[in-house]
Amino acid sequence: MPDKGFYQEFEVFSKRSDASPLQHQFSLLAPNHELALVMAQENFMRREPVSDIWVVKREDIRKMDLEEKQSLKRLDNKDYRNTKGYGYLKKKWRVYEQEILDEREILSWGGEPEK
Amino acid sequence: MAETSSFDLLPDEQRLARFMERIETGEKIEADDWMPEDYRMTLIKLISMHGISEIMGALPEKEWVPKAPSLKRKLAIMAKVQDEMGHGQLLLRVAEDLMEPLLKSREHIIQDLLSGKLKFHNVFHMEAKTWGDAGLIGWLVDGAAIITQTNMLNASYGPYARALKRICAEEVFHAQHGEAIIMALAEGTGKQKAMIQDSIDRWWDALLMFFGPGDASTTGTSKQDITMKYKIRTKTNEELRQDFFSKYIPRVLSLGLKLPDETMHFDKTEGLWKYRQPDWSQFKQIIKNNGPKSRERLRLREISYTSNKWVLEALSVRV
Amino acid sequence: MKYTKEEALIHKEYHSALCELLFQLADDDFILAYRGSEWLGLAPHIEEDVAFSSISQDMMGHAVIFYGMLEDLGIGKANDLAHDRPAEERKNAILLERVNGPGTYLHEPHYDWAFAVVRSYFYTGIKKIKIASLKNSSYIPLSQAAVKIEMELYYHLLHWKTWFTQLLGAGGEAKKRIEDAMAAVFPDLDGVFSFGAARTMFIRLALITSEEEIRQEWIQMMRPIFESLGINMPNSFGLESGNGRDGVHTEDLEAALKTLTEVYRIDQTASW
Repeated sequence: MPDKGFYQEFEVFSKRSDASPLQHQFSLLAPNHELALVMAQENFMRREPVSDIWVVKREDIRKMDLEEKQSLKRLDNKDYRNTKGYGYLKKKWRVYEQEILDEREILSWGGEPEK
Repeated sequence: MAETSSFDLLPDEQRLARFMERIETGEKIEADDWMPEDYRMTLIKLISMHGISEIMGALPEKEWVPKAPSLKRKLAIMAKVQDEMGHGQLLLRVAEDLMEPLLKSREHIIQDLLSGKLKFHNVFHMEAKTWGDAGLIGWLVDGAAIITQTNMLNASYGPYARALKRICAEEVFHAQHGEAIIMALAEGTGKQKAMIQDSIDRWWDALLMFFGPGDASTTGTSKQDITMKYKIRTKTNEELRQDFFSKYIPRVLSLGLKLPDETMHFDKTEGLWKYRQPDWSQFKQIIKNNGPKSRERLRLREISYTSNKWVLEALSVRV
Repeated sequence: MKYTKEEALIHKEYHSALCELLFQLADDDFILAYRGSEWLGLAPHIEEDVAFSSISQDMMGHAVIFYGMLEDLGIGKANDLAHDRPAEERKNAILLERVNGPGTYLHEPHYDWAFAVVRSYFYTGIKKIKIASLKNSSYIPLSQAAVKIEMELYYHLLHWKTWFTQLLGAGGEAKKRIEDAMAAVFPDLDGVFSFGAARTMFIRLALITSEEEIRQEWIQMMRPIFESLGINMPNSFGLESGNGRDGVHTEDLEAALKTLTEVYRIDQTASW
C-alpha cells in the first residue's frame, strides 16, 4: 500500500498478573506505538485485571503459512521424553520400599503452587 | 514475507478440496490462509456489516446515555454503548484483515457506509423514542443478537469465532442490563408500564425482521445457504427466529406485557411458533437506508468523520 | 485534627465547609463525565471512542463517590444531588460545563477534539494534584477515597498527555487547533483551581491545600512539557466567564441539566 496513513496494525498482548504468562488479546489500529498502548487496555481488558501490556507492530511479526504449519506435526512415539515412558519404575521402587519421585512430588518441593 | 509454498502452486480445485476438508474436520481458517473467493467475499460482507451495525447500533442507545435517569443507569448504559463500539472494533478488525488483499482498509468501510454501499442492520434504522426503547434494545434487540451470534461461535473462520467469543461474553452483561431497565419499568408506575408496552408495540416488527427473511423468495436476497455451506453458521434465519420466540416470549408475557400480534401462538404439533409476517417490503426499504432514522444516523457518522478528519491526517504515518 | 463522619456531623462549621468542597469535587467530575458521554460514538477513531468512554465512566464513578459522601453527611440522596439541583446550586467550574462544540449530541454535533483533549488534559492534571493533597485531608473518609481515586488518574493523565503531545508535535493544522483550544481554555482555567468563597475555611480546617499551591504545582508539572513542545505558558490564566464555585453558570449548564434530567423528571418518586 502506498500510504499506510493513520491505520497501522498492532497486536496486543497482556499479562493478567505478574506471575502470568503473556497472552495474545487482539489487534487494534493506531497511528503509532504510544497511542496503541494507551488504547489497548480499555479496548480488550475492560473487565479483567492486567499487570502488563505489550503492543507489537504487526509487520514485525513473522507468521507461519499453511505449508509451514505442516512442520509442526510429529509422531506420537516419544514416550522417552515424558514420564509416561518410566511408569514401570513405580513398581520397581516398591520392591525397595520407596516411593517414586513423580511430577506431583517433585513440584511440591517448591512449596504451594501460585494461583 | 513467507516464501511461495507448494500449496499456492496447486490448481484451484485441489486447493478448494483441501480447504473444504479443513472446514469439515473443524480446523479453523486464518486470515493469511488460502480461501476461495466466495468464502472471502461472503465473510467480508457478513462481518463488515456486522461490525458497522455495532457502530451504528451504538447511536440509538447513545441517545439515552446522557438522559439515563440515575447515576447507576448513566454508568451502566455508558458501559453498554461503549461495549457496542468495542464490538464494532473487534469485528471491523476481522473484516479489515480479510480486505487487506483487496487493498482496502477501515477508510473504505466508512466510505462505503456513507455512500450506502455497506448496509447496517434493520433494527438500527428505527427510532429510539423513549427510555423504554433503551431498555428494549438492551433486552430484546441484544437478545436477538445473542441468538444469532452464539449460532456462529464455532464459525469456520477463526478470527470471527474468536471475536464472537469475546462479544458473547459481554452480551450476557447487556442482556441483564436490559432486563434490569425493563423490570424496573414493568414493576413501576402505570406510566412506566405503558412506556415499555409502547416500546414493544413499536419495535415488534423490527424484532421479527432482525433475523432476516425466511428464504430468498421473500426479499430476493439471502446469504444463508452459502454461510451454512462454509460452516460459518449452522441454523437458518427461521430457526433462529423460532429460538428467539422460545426464549423470550414466555419472559415478555410473564411481565404482564402483551404481544402486538394476536395471532401469535405455539403450534404443538408442528413445534413452531405461528406469527404474523412483518411487511418485508418495508424491510427492503429500511436496509436501503430509507428507514425512519437512517439518514439522521448516517449524518452523525458523517459529521464524526469529517469534523475529526484533521486528527487522522495529523497523525498519519507518511511513507 | 482528623474527623470521622460522626465528628463531621456534629461540628457545624466543619460540616458546612466539607460539604462545600465535596460539592465542588462531585459537580466537576459529574459534568465533565456528562460531556464525555456526549462524545460516545463520535470520537475521531473507534479504538479511541472505547478508551475515552472508560475515562468518562471513571470520572462519573468518582462523582458517585463524592455524592455518596454527601449522602452520608445527611445532605440528600446521591442520585438527587446529581439530578435535582438547579444550576445556581451547582459548584462545578464553568470550563467543565461548556459544550463540546457547535450542535448537540443528537443534532449536528460538530465537536472539537482539540478542545476535548486540552480541557481533559488540563483538568486531569489539576484534579490529580488536588487528589494527592486530599490524601492528607482532615476528613478521614475523603482521604481514604482519594487514595483509591488516585489509582485511576495515572491512566487518565497518560492518555490525555499522549494525545496532547502528539497533536501538538504533529505541527500544522493540528498544532493550530490545539493552540486555539488552549486559547479557549486558559481564560477560564482559574475556575478549576478556585475554591470560591470557602477557600480560607478549607485551609483552616485542613481539608485541602491552597489554590495557589495547586496552581504552582500544576505549572511546574506542565512547564517542561510546554517547553519541549515549544509553546508558551501564559503568565496568568483567567476567570472570564465567572466563578462556578459561587453558583455562576452559563446557558450550557442549563441545557445540559435539562437533558440529563429528562427521564428523571418524568416521575421523581418512581424507581427507574
